[in-house]
Amino acid sequence: MKLKTLPEAAALVRDGDLVALQNMATQSAPMAMVRELIRAGRRDLGLVCLVGGMAVDWLAASGSINRFVGAAVSMEQFGLCQRFRKAVEAGRVRVEELSETALLARLTAGARSLPFLPTRGLIGTDLIDINPNLELLEDPFGGPPVVACRALVPDVALIHAHRADRFGNVQYEPTALWPDIGIMPKAARRVVVTVERVVGSDVLRLNPDRTVLPGFMVDAVVEAPWGAHPTSFNPCYGYDSGFHLRWAEAAAAPGSATEFLAAFVHAPADHATYLQAVGGAARLAALGRWEAG
Amino acid sequence: MSVPGWEKSPPARDYSVDELMVAVLAGCFRPGDQVCNGMASFLPVSAIRLAKLTHAPDLVWLAGAVGLEPRPGPVPASTLEAPLWRNSLMYVEQCGDFWTMVLNGRFLSKFCVGAAQLDRFGNANNSVIGGDFHSPRVRLPGTAGMGDMGSIGKLLYYWNPDHSQRSLVRKVDFVSCAGYLSGGRQRSDLGLEGGPELVVTNLAVLDFHPDSKHMRLRSVHPGVSVEEVQSATGFELLLPDGGEVPQTPPPTQAQVDAIRTVIDPHGMRRREFRRMRQRAAGGPKAG
Repeated sequence: MKLKTLPEAAALVRDGDLVALQNMATQSAPMAMVRELIRAGRRDLGLVCLVGGMAVDWLAASGSINRFVGAAVSMEQFGLCQRFRKAVEAGRVRVEELSETALLARLTAGARSLPFLPTRGLIGTDLIDINPNLELLEDPFGGPPVVACRALVPDVALIHAHRADRFGNVQYEPTALWPDIGIMPKAARRVVVTVERVVGSDVLRLNPDRTVLPGFMVDAVVEAPWGAHPTSFNPCYGYDSGFHLRWAEAAAAPGSATEFLAAFVHAPADHATYLQAVGGAARLAALGRWEAG
Repeated sequence: MSVPGWEKSPPARDYSVDELMVAVLAGCFRPGDQVCNGMASFLPVSAIRLAKLTHAPDLVWLAGAVGLEPRPGPVPASTLEAPLWRNSLMYVEQCGDFWTMVLNGRFLSKFCVGAAQLDRFGNANNSVIGGDFHSPRVRLPGTAGMGDMGSIGKLLYYWNPDHSQRSLVRKVDFVSCAGYLSGGRQRSDLGLEGGPELVVTNLAVLDFHPDSKHMRLRSVHPGVSVEEVQSATGFELLLPDGGEVPQTPPPTQAQVDAIRTVIDPHGMRRREFRRMRQRAAGGPKAG
C-alpha cells in the first residue's frame, strides 16, 4: 500500500536531497508536491531537470535550493525564471549545465549502475572543462573522442502522472513522453508520484501498454487532481497562461515574489483550497478545454 | 497540399521583415529533409510550415521534437506545447527514440538555433554573459538541445531578429553551441562534421567562408545598406567574392499570403521582435 497524503509523501524528500523533477518549461511539473516542499520548509535541495520552469523559480524564490543540474530553465513564452536567475547571479544557486544527451547519459549511467556513459554532444563547447562530471575520452576503438558523463543518482524523483493504483503501478495517457518519465524514476533512489486519479488495478489492466512505471519502483502515490497546475498536463489540461503571467510579473522583485508565494503556496491549507484560490472549478474546466484554444 | 500557383507568384510589395526571414528560412529546407523545432521558435515553425506548403511538401516535421507530421492549426502561443502537435502520426518518445533518431546521422540533419550571442565563427552562447560561469552578470536559459546539435554533425541555421553589436559579437562570452570554434580547420580537427550554414537576421543573410569559416555577408535585406549591417555587427564582416553584396530576394506574394492567412494569422512570429523592442527600451528581458 503506497497511497500517501501530500505531507506524508513530502517527508520522503529530505533537506539536502538531490531531487529529479519532472518538468518541461510550462509542462507536466508535479506542482502540488513542489508547493508541499516549500510549505514544509525544505532546505539545500538540488534539482535535476531537463528544462525547468515555474517550479524551479518557486523553489529558488523560497530559498529551498542551492544547486541545479540540467539543460535549461525557462518558462518559454513567459520569459526567463527571474528568481532562479537572480539566485544564480548572486551565487546562491550553483548550476551544472548539461546538454540534453549529457544529462540523459548521466541519468542512464546512474540507472544502470555504470560509472559513466558517453555522448558525442558538447564537444567543442566550454561546458566540458568547467564540469568535473564530464571528461573528454579517447575512443578505445580508434574513432573521434567522446564525452564521458559521470553517473548521476538523484536521491528522489518527483513525477506527475495520469493515474496509478495503490501499489504504485503508474500509467500515462497517450501524450508527449518527455525524458523525465523515461529515465528519472529509474535512476533515483526513491520515487514519489502524484497522479490525477488513483484507480483500481483492474483499470490499469485494460491498457497495460500505458503503464510506464511498475509498482516496485515507486515509493509513494498521492492523488492530486490538477496536480500539475499551472503547468499543462496533456491531454487533460493546458497551461494556465494568466497564472504564469501573474507569476512572471511578481517574480520581477523579491518582495512581490514572496507575496505571491504567501498567497498561493503558504495560505491554502491543502491542495483543494489551492485549486479554489486559482479560480476553482470554472477556471479548471476552461484549462481542460485546451484543445479548443 | 501546396498553395496553388506558388511557383509563379510575383515578389510581394507589402511584407514585413519577419515574413522575409520566414521565407529565407523556409528556403533552407529541401524535399526529403526531416526537421524538428525547439521552444519559442516561431520563425522556424512558420518557415517549416511554409516550406511544406510550397516547395517541399514532403518535408517531414517533428513538431516540438514530439509530434510527427501534425495537422496543426495557426501557430500557437507556444512551440513546445500540445496545441502545436495536434493530430500527429506519432508521439516520439524523448528519452530513447527522439535522441536516437537525432544522433543517428541519417535523420534530422538540419536544426534552427536561436541564441543570445553569436560570434564571427558561428559559436553560440545561451548560457552566461559576463563574469564567471558560477557568478555570471547575466544567467541565460541554458544550452538545452543546442549543446548537442552543434557537435553531432547537424547543419545549423541561426535566426536572430535583433541584429546588433550585442547579439553578434567578435567572440562569445561562453560557447554553449559549437560552431567553427576558432575558425579554419579547428572544428573538423576535433572530428566534428556539419556546422553553421546560415545566419538569418532582421537586416541580412550571412554565411561562412569555406576556408577561414569566418562569417560573411551573403545579402542585405531590401532597404538596408551594407554599412548599416556592418555597424550593427560587433566584428568586421567578410564580403562575398567580388565585393558586390546582393539584395535578399523579398518573399513572394503567395508566401506572404500563406504566412498571414494560413500559417500564422495571430502573428505569433512577431513576438520575438516585440521582445527585442522591450529589451531595447530597458524593459524586462524574456527567455
